[in-house]
Amino acid sequence: MQTTILAVTLVLMAVVALTFLKVVGAVNSETNPTNAGSSRSKLFWFLVIFGVLITVGSLRQWPHAVAAGDGVVQVNATGGQWFWEIDAKKVPAGKKVVFNLHSKDVNHGFGVADQSGRLLFQMQAMPGYINKVTYVFDEPGKYRVMCMEFCGVGHHDMNDEFEVVKN
Amino acid sequence: MSEAKFEPHSGAVKFTMLIAGAVFALMMALGLVMRAAQGGMIDVDPAFFYQLLSAHGAGMVGTAGLSGAAIMWYFVGRYVQLSAKMYWAFFSLFLLGVVFILVSIFIGGYGGAWTFLFPLPAMSGGAWEPWAGALFILGYTSIGVGFLLYYLAIGYPFIKQYGGLGRAMAWHVAFGGADPEDAPPPTIIAATAVTVFNTLGIVVGAAVLVVSLVNLFVPGFAVDALLAKNMIFFFGHVFINASIYMAVIAVYEIIPEYTGKPWKTTRIFALAWASILLFVMAVYPHHLLQDMVMPGWMLVMGQVISYLSGVPLLVVTAFSLCIYLVGSKLRWDLASAMLVLAVAGWSVGSVPAIVDGMIIVNKVMHNTQWVPGHFHIYLLLGEVAMSFGFMAWLVRGRETSEQGMSGLDKMAFGSYVLGGAGFCVMFLVSGAMSIPRRWAVHLPEWMFQDQVATAFGALVVLSTLVLVLKYVGGLRR
Repeated sequence: MQTTILAVTLVLMAVVALTFLKVVGAVNSETNPTNAGSSRSKLFWFLVIFGVLITVGSLRQWPHAVAAGDGVVQVNATGGQWFWEIDAKKVPAGKKVVFNLHSKDVNHGFGVADQSGRLLFQMQAMPGYINKVTYVFDEPGKYRVMCMEFCGVGHHDMNDEFEVVKN
Repeated sequence: MSEAKFEPHSGAVKFTMLIAGAVFALMMALGLVMRAAQGGMIDVDPAFFYQLLSAHGAGMVGTAGLSGAAIMWYFVGRYVQLSAKMYWAFFSLFLLGVVFILVSIFIGGYGGAWTFLFPLPAMSGGAWEPWAGALFILGYTSIGVGFLLYYLAIGYPFIKQYGGLGRAMAWHVAFGGADPEDAPPPTIIAATAVTVFNTLGIVVGAAVLVVSLVNLFVPGFAVDALLAKNMIFFFGHVFINASIYMAVIAVYEIIPEYTGKPWKTTRIFALAWASILLFVMAVYPHHLLQDMVMPGWMLVMGQVISYLSGVPLLVVTAFSLCIYLVGSKLRWDLASAMLVLAVAGWSVGSVPAIVDGMIIVNKVMHNTQWVPGHFHIYLLLGEVAMSFGFMAWLVRGRETSEQGMSGLDKMAFGSYVLGGAGFCVMFLVSGAMSIPRRWAVHLPEWMFQDQVATAFGALVVLSTLVLVLKYVGGLRR
């Protein structure tokens, strides 16, 4: 997913940058901007329609929906300076896992990465609150937990791991 | 109604930009040290790294605010009579705050980042004493009070001269069908909107600063962590946006001198600034997209307004600049080149920002290096470029205007663009590789990107030194 996000972003950035380069090339030329109002209007409506499509497409399924019911595995995790307490070191593959996350002290971030180091999801850990996220692990193996919210001098050392096992 | 009538306080502004330019260069050097440390090229103790991180963040945001404020003061001073005493009171409080922050970080060991996320200042895990956290917060408070004075000094004459803040923002043109000829100039509209939203942002920031301060000495006095987080991100987001929106006034005022086409107030311009006023204040939940306990509607609002915030930028500011440039007789010199670069950089930087503002993307990009990637684009190649463009314009001589860009100008400009673009893209690439931001120590497999970024960063620092030294040379002329 990240590679796609990067590629799309770089292409869109290049489109904006190239538009400016084209304009710079038209300075001191005999070009006279015509229909500026119409072009502006077209750009506005294009952005509005594009925005509506992107918004509906990306929020049609609520990204933070929390699974419930039988067969859902619950994992409780707590962050503290500078450690994680996770009450299940093994979770099943192919099942919905709900992570219930809390903090003992300051804000932390619970980021889970696969064997290649690719971040799969993350959530904030906050004192006084329990954040919940649902994830289904497809592949068995070791998964790394990294702190994703700056929490003091041991922030970069706040790592842990758990194992996803075949169901 | 749009005629310039007064002489701006150029001496005070030139001095402020000298300080701002020097601090920008120094803070960039700190950034370079951090990237080199992450790349394993130099050894930096993690505790010291986080002190540098705090200094770099607070220093850059503060200096962006200071330079934006100086630019706005200069150009607003063409249209209304401003009080020089109030400016110096603002500047003095700002400097006092800087001294507090520097002592807090480099003597007290404060390393809780510029965001002072509650209750981190009071829970350092032994890294710094409560007094250091308190001094950092007092430093912010001093700067905040200075800015409130600054906005009072600007807002009060606007009300007197234009008949209210609404009229100063041309709402009678935007919503009442009045003739744009009766509207204030773009500078006044922008300055009024910034005055309104940044005043509100600073007041909210002051409230959470006071709570954090009390919590440092009376730990039993605690505020809800989620409420504090909302307040901090509202304040931080509004403040850094205010810096850019103050600095863009340089584009409105200077570019017409080059193109010969005045930047006019139109109904679309007034509507754009009315929407900016709303969007800047309502968009901050996009910083909280991974706090699932937030009301869902606020997270949706964060995503939607994050996207909408790009519309007035692209459709009005960037589009209008392009129309003014095409076919104009603009002569390229350092000032015009940096100002056009700044609008381009700001526009380009809005793309990764909007992408990260989508909840589904934010799940895997939030607090990775993607985040410094997008904000470095619209700060380094946006606000800071506007500041350097303004500085070059302030000290331009008749001969430099006629000669255009010298060889040294071209080299500095080219290095700044190349170094800045490369530096920022390496952040985005690193974010896509899931490398977390704000880690003092990086894994070996992450270091190559850090090293490439360091090389690009060195180019930016060198070109910045040339830009600042050229400014000093211009002041001496």
